[in-house]
Amino acid sequence: MARIQLENVKKSFGRVQALNGIDIDVKDKEFFVLFGPAGAGKTTILNCIAGISLPEEGVIRFNDEIVNLVDPAHRNVAMVFENYALYPQMTVYDNMAAALRSNLYKTDEATIKEKVHAAARMMKMENLLERLPSQLSNGQKQRVAMGRALVRTPNVFLMDEPLAHLDAKLRNAMRTELKEMQANLGSTCIYVTHDFMEAMALGDRIAIINQGEIVQIGSGDEIYYMPCNEFVAQLMGDPQINIIPGRIKEEKGNCEFCFEAGGQKIAVPMPEDRELFEKIRRTGLQNADMGLRPQNVKYSFAPEKGYFRTTVYSYESIGNKSVIQADCGDYQLRMIAPNGLKIQIDQDIYVQLEVDHSMFFDQQTKEYVSRYDEASIKAFAAEQEVR
Amino acid sequence: MAGLTLKNVFKRYENSGKKKNRQQNDYAVKDLNLVCEQGEFVAFLGPSGCGKTTTLRMIAGLEDITKGEIYIGDRLVNHLHPKDRNIGLAFEDYAMYPPLDVYGNVAFNLRAKGVDKGEIDRRVREIAPLMQIDDILDKMPVKLSGGQKQRVNIARAIIREPELLLMDEPLSHLDGKARQSMRVEIKRLINKIKCTTVYVTHDQLEAMSLADKIAIINFGVLQQFGTPAEVYDDPVNEFVASFIGEPPMNILETTIIKEDGTFFFTFANSNLKIAVPGRYYGVVSDGFRCKMGVRPMDVLVGGDGSKGTPEEIATFENLGDERRIGIRVGDMLLMLITEDEKRYRSGDIIKLEVREEKTHLFDIETGNRIRELA
Repeated sequence: MARIQLENVKKSFGRVQALNGIDIDVKDKEFFVLFGPAGAGKTTILNCIAGISLPEEGVIRFNDEIVNLVDPAHRNVAMVFENYALYPQMTVYDNMAAALRSNLYKTDEATIKEKVHAAARMMKMENLLERLPSQLSNGQKQRVAMGRALVRTPNVFLMDEPLAHLDAKLRNAMRTELKEMQANLGSTCIYVTHDFMEAMALGDRIAIINQGEIVQIGSGDEIYYMPCNEFVAQLMGDPQINIIPGRIKEEKGNCEFCFEAGGQKIAVPMPEDRELFEKIRRTGLQNADMGLRPQNVKYSFAPEKGYFRTTVYSYESIGNKSVIQADCGDYQLRMIAPNGLKIQIDQDIYVQLEVDHSMFFDQQTKEYVSRYDEASIKAFAAEQEVR
Repeated sequence: MAGLTLKNVFKRYENSGKKKNRQQNDYAVKDLNLVCEQGEFVAFLGPSGCGKTTTLRMIAGLEDITKGEIYIGDRLVNHLHPKDRNIGLAFEDYAMYPPLDVYGNVAFNLRAKGVDKGEIDRRVREIAPLMQIDDILDKMPVKLSGGQKQRVNIARAIIREPELLLMDEPLSHLDGKARQSMRVEIKRLINKIKCTTVYVTHDQLEAMSLADKIAIINFGVLQQFGTPAEVYDDPVNEFVASFIGEPPMNILETTIIKEDGTFFFTFANSNLKIAVPGRYYGVVSDGFRCKMGVRPMDVLVGGDGSKGTPEEIATFENLGDERRIGIRVGDMLLMLITEDEKRYRSGDIIKLEVREEKTHLFDIETGNRIRELA
């Protein structure tokens, strides 16, 4: 149990600046997710906390105590790796007991037995204790790797993409199980992933990392509804958010969003949202990118008022639902549709944007400006955090 | 006209395993029968080791056929050399000629066949924009990204205008985003060239989104052959039901009881009770044991006046676009998906409703669907 703080942590590998001034403050017992694309520096942060890597600059604190010079063994962290790292010659029981038998954590066998069985119960693998790692499936191996971390009472659990090796189905099932266990962990956990669903589902808070820097920190809802720039907006959500370049035109207090779709010039009226309009006025936003999630684009196969005509670029199932991509010349509009529609590629389709669910980005800087219902979404997110 | 016909095809690897281990499961492919119509896009789907690639290789002529017949169009091809089968191949690894540029790679087969230069150039120029490789024709393979390599690879397979196009996991080397966009491109391409295509994959999503028909294979045996909608809504057994769909179908062991003339599904160590749809009344009885399957989309959170069973939430996952709720039923987890904006916590009580008419029954022993009496 510990509060983990990083202050201005910098780390480079040769000429490559891997971490460029990282500041995080992980609360005690928080489940904190580091999320970002490959090569962003997520694992390097984890290694710095574990003490495997030494930062060139900056301070790392465990419970207000600076640990920069404490060696990894004495930081009392438990790490779970993507590739399990089990001792192949030992049974599951011995793998789990190994840390408690080391000189550092020397514990008597009776206590070890109790702790291993408790962890095994939690991971639902009591029937596997006598097996060797070679007799386990990948999902079971990962369970053992986690169970091994659970037998100790570390300051912090560090998990580096523990589910990335598993196939999609098993990954989702394990994620759900991990979520169920989370309440019982009773310890701080820092979890690295490049899968946005894992980040959303597991994290109390998420830090988005890109190119060695922190881009945004917030709860899943905050980041999903108010991403700080287009990069973050595109990371969260599958299918990806639509980014529609256009112009905001204001006349007599009414706003219109003007954009192009396959050569047509389209202007959609923007419903009144006083705060949003004020923010647009204050920032002088004119050239804006509209961000609109695929579930907020409506379609029809017959002309309708407020819909514009385009053609189907693709229609494909993504499991429980399907995605239609409509061809808009320079870009494609993604929208959610049910499975099993009779759609021909290149046929006509009529599309409407639900503007009142949109967010706006500055076209130059790609930074977030504002969105509809910002105040109520902020209140909603805050309420979640209090619960 | 049939584009591809497999008749009672068997495959046994003669040197596989030790002799004593070779008993009943020694066929890699067992009695496979399949007819793909001309121009149809068929996916072979199954877990690794199920025999899907073996079947593809037999169609291509890279593997002997132990027993049975394979026809491409009307031609029996059992004894034809791969080069005489008129097929295009695109595999997972790209196998490009590194000293040749993209143009050279795409043109290679035609050059080998002695097609004249002007014709080769015409065909390469025709196919390049289709595969979006027209601006990289002079690049060397080492300079290409994975997605670009796979485009070149597919271009090379289709430039010969084959009768049959065979693809083996062409997207599995690509990362998530590239895979998704490539999937769309492949679908548009096949739609345009209208070539009969067999596509091997272990990813049910890929099969569901690309194929006109899916052949689901397990342990070398064809389980079901049908359209994506058929295998999703009307699976023939528990294997197909749980293989198709993500998250997979909830499949729970159940004992059916009769109360006041109504049958209910009941579950060990759970107070959940779900009415059995009337169409099954001819096949079930009081105390009947089987498995019940229901998709996570067909389990709902009831509103205020709901008559659903009160259940405690075990897991709640907010995934942004949707939310997933897990309910403990005995030691199984019943999953449901909702797009409802409400946030729950584990421990909250909800009213659980199940779309009864969407439930399936499976035999406990064999896993086969138990169907209503016709």
